Amino acid sequence: MEADVLIVGAGPAGISAALTAEKFGAKVILIDESFSPGGQLRQQTQYFSNLPTGYAPDIGLKVIETLIKHLYASSVQVYTNHTMIGAYKNGMIGVTDGNKTFPILARANILAPGAQEEAKIFPGWTLPGVMTAGAAQILINRESVLPGKRAVMIGTNNFAFTVAKQLHDCGVTIEAFIEEKSQITCSDGILRDELKHVPVWTESTVQIAQGTGQVERVSVHTPEGRKEIDVDLICISNGFTPILEPFVIMDCELTYKKHLGGWVPLYNEKLQTTNPSCFIAGNAAGITDLGPILLTGEIAAISALEEIGILNSEEAEIERRKRWLELEKLENTAVCQARKNLIASSRSRQSPLTKSK
Amino acid sequence: MQIHIHPVLGEKFTEEVTFYFNNKPLKAKKGQTVAAALMANGIRNLGTSRKFLQPRGLYCATGRCMSCFVTINGVEHVLSCMTLVDEGMKVFPSNEDPDPGSEINGS
Ligand SMILES: Cc1cc2nc3c(=O)[nH]c(=O)nc-3n(C[C@H](O)[C@H](O)[C@H](O)COP(=O)(O)OP(=O)(O)OC[C@H]3O[C@@H](n4cnc5c(N)ncnc54)[C@H](O)[C@@H]3O)c2cc1C
Ligand code: FES
Repeated sequence: MEADVLIVGAGPAGISAALTAEKFGAKVILIDESFSPGGQLRQQTQYFSNLPTGYAPDIGLKVIETLIKHLYASSVQVYTNHTMIGAYKNGMIGVTDGNKTFPILARANILAPGAQEEAKIFPGWTLPGVMTAGAAQILINRESVLPGKRAVMIGTNNFAFTVAKQLHDCGVTIEAFIEEKSQITCSDGILRDELKHVPVWTESTVQIAQGTGQVERVSVHTPEGRKEIDVDLICISNGFTPILEPFVIMDCELTYKKHLGGWVPLYNEKLQTTNPSCFIAGNAAGITDLGPILLTGEIAAISALEEIGILNSEEAEIERRKRWLELEKLENTAVCQARKNLIASSRSRQSPLTKSK
Repeated sequence: MQIHIHPVLGEKFTEEVTFYFNNKPLKAKKGQTVAAALMANGIRNLGTSRKFLQPRGLYCATGRCMSCFVTINGVEHVLSCMTLVDEGMKVFPSNEDPDPGSEINGS
């Protein structure tokens, strides 16, 4: 298989990159390991209004449905159930569909594998019924299945409250939030208000989750002493961190940026990694919101097309500039600053980025 | 338990399929993953860990944690959270080490 641009990951970032590259005339292959495109937006029922020009405000699931419709109406070749599992010596990306493994030859690659949820480890965390908050969200909103009836949520960040509210609306009783810190970390006042009937145990940690074959109760260490409750669902919301394997495979250098979610691949203002054939987009480039995620897809596509000569440098610069300005407006200040610092640190290196071995 | 009418999405799946877990027939909705279809039938324990022999189930639902392995139509160690359920599918829990040399596992 051959293309001008190979895009790994068909979440919002990858699809946005694919549609942008196609619009400028490139032959694009888009692969995703899942059975359908859409990534982690497939289960988001919350409303997004802070989107780039050209996007209508809607719930996440509808935003991605519209993008997928455009995708299938375009010339982009979409391969679901295809996973990037390695690279050949000549730099080609190796892909498997579970039966065959084969190379895809592209002049540039855009890697958009998204983010993963951080675990939280306590005795009993591997019992069936203990799952990430995102897993519970997938079960209710994508699969239409209730993961339990009585739950506790570990963590009080925005995502913990988002999922707790969605579980509550599906009829799950949220017994308590369990928070290590001394106060709630969720910054969304409306969400907090909607769940104000749920007790929040601060300065508290899970001692043990127990049950025969699956979770039946949880013991929590709180400042008022040990609390034990019967639950059949324990959700863990401990933040997101970029998925790095595709970048490690492609020999891209990594760097640590707390405000971007931890370890991230190093990249410049073209969203080009230290491997010049690999560009980066989406939450893999730093944990952020949907608007910036979509824009990084567009920026990576423009830069990839510049790299292979489909766009000239002036055109590319103009198109990129426009999107960076919009991104700065949409992105959380601390995240945007961390991104700028990362880009600045890549600039202080030789150009094009060279690999330190 | 199936959510028949979702508060935001209404009725999402309409077509029903029959599949088997430990040879027992179960109903699921077409479009659901095997892990979700089992959970809808109250089955959350999907296998046994090799070293400590503890129960394992769905944890991440995104194909990353490897906690949801099952055997599907004879193929061992299939991620149930990444595989769509199908009519007549035969699913067994993952209780033993797989046999990577066997023909069906892709030797
Ligand atoms: C379970 C879960 C729930 C989430 N819920 C929310 C939420 O409610 N609100 C919110 O703001 N954010 C949420 N997020 C964060 C999420 O990362 C973003 O919302 C957004 O979807 C990121 O877009 P993306 O395109 O960068 O990545 P994703 O949407 O994650 O898409 C990446 C795609 O790449 C594919 N992929 C990864 N590795 C490979 C490979 N090696 N080969 C082939 N394909 C690969 C994946 O299958 C996936 O489809 C959630 C994340 C997770 C994991
Ligand atoms: S639940 Fe994590 S891989 Fe399936």
